[in-house]
Amino acid sequence: MEQPSWSDSELIMRAGDLWAEATCSPFLDAAATGTLPEDAFGRWLAQDYLFARGLTGYQAIALAKAPRDAHRVLIGGLVALDRELEWFENHAERRGISLAERPHPVCRAYVDFLMRSAYTQPWPVLAAILFGVEASYLAAWSRLTPSGPYAEFIERWSNQAFVHYVSDLAVLARRYPHPDAQDGFNQVLVYERDFWRMAWEG
Amino acid sequence: MLHQALWDSCRDLAEDCLTHPFVRGLAQGTLDPAVFRDYVAQDAFYLRAFMKSYALALARCDEPGAAQAFHELIGGVLQEMAMHREYARTLGVKLAAARPNAACLAYTDFLLATAWGRTLGEILAAMTPCMRLYAWLGQNLARQATPENPYRRWIETYGAAEFDQLAARIESLLDAYATDSPEIRDAYRYAMECELRFFSAVMPALTV
Repeated sequence: MEQPSWSDSELIMRAGDLWAEATCSPFLDAAATGTLPEDAFGRWLAQDYLFARGLTGYQAIALAKAPRDAHRVLIGGLVALDRELEWFENHAERRGISLAERPHPVCRAYVDFLMRSAYTQPWPVLAAILFGVEASYLAAWSRLTPSGPYAEFIERWSNQAFVHYVSDLAVLARRYPHPDAQDGFNQVLVYERDFWRMAWEG
Repeated sequence: MLHQALWDSCRDLAEDCLTHPFVRGLAQGTLDPAVFRDYVAQDAFYLRAFMKSYALALARCDEPGAAQAFHELIGGVLQEMAMHREYARTLGVKLAAARPNAACLAYTDFLLATAWGRTLGEILAAMTPCMRLYAWLGQNLARQATPENPYRRWIETYGAAEFDQLAARIESLLDAYATDSPEIRDAYRYAMECELRFFSAVMPALTV
């Protein structure tokens, strides 16, 4: 029997309008048309780097709480995050963007939410949160056609390997339901929406 | 002393809090009771995180003296929580049903993420601003408030010598366990920013 697609997730269905709010943004539209202002791009790059560092910590703690059948997916994700951090560092260096920025309050609140959850929530809630983080990113970038000056960025979060990873996370979130999973998932979407707004508006 | 240097470095934010319409409304007794009810509900949610953060800080202590200090500070929070329950009863606030607003959630997540994962010094740097700011606001407001002020109880609680002693207690722990570093300064300043946003969330006026 064929596995349902990640996009058929009940967590997404039950999130209502929040899903679209978290995955559509003028920032992304401008990236697709190549009209993104440099300062917005620089802000997003530095803040997303800080977020990815926070997510790495979250995922490591989630791994410590995860059952055996989730290890391979989570460890694979951690290896990918390490590569992603290096990729950010190289891009920032090439473009002369400082990554030693103070986190924007939105980025900070998002990471603090992840870390507080990592320490206090059970594994099934952590699985729903992680699926929310990655699925919303996949949905946001894969709405765009990989062309123009930001093609590399669009491709990075809409390629087949990333689709497979998000699909694996969807399977885990489905396998381990929890009454608080939707709340955690929805809070991720609130922060994703606010993060895109911050990147666009400052 | 480190606690004084940190407070001095954030005087701009302390002044912004003192002149915030929410705090001015308390001082003048003109604050909309609906805004105060909302604030009490948010603050009750906040205090639960604050109490847990003290407990997590205590769990890092090997010295009985520091454990005793945290024990007293937890007692102080429990008293504040009892005051909030009384406010809730008299003002008709359903504390259990209250959901945190974005500013309250960001602040409590910051406290708890710090308390679970960072050093004792950073936990103290994250927690001290709330105590010192409220003592400072309480003492400032006590000089202005008239006997008829409906928020006199709130002002007297935080303006009291007993509360100042609790603030001094956590400041002495901060001096003992934290060293001046960018992380400590950042945690302290971010907590002060969270305080200002906490007021703005129930009564929009300023952003930081």
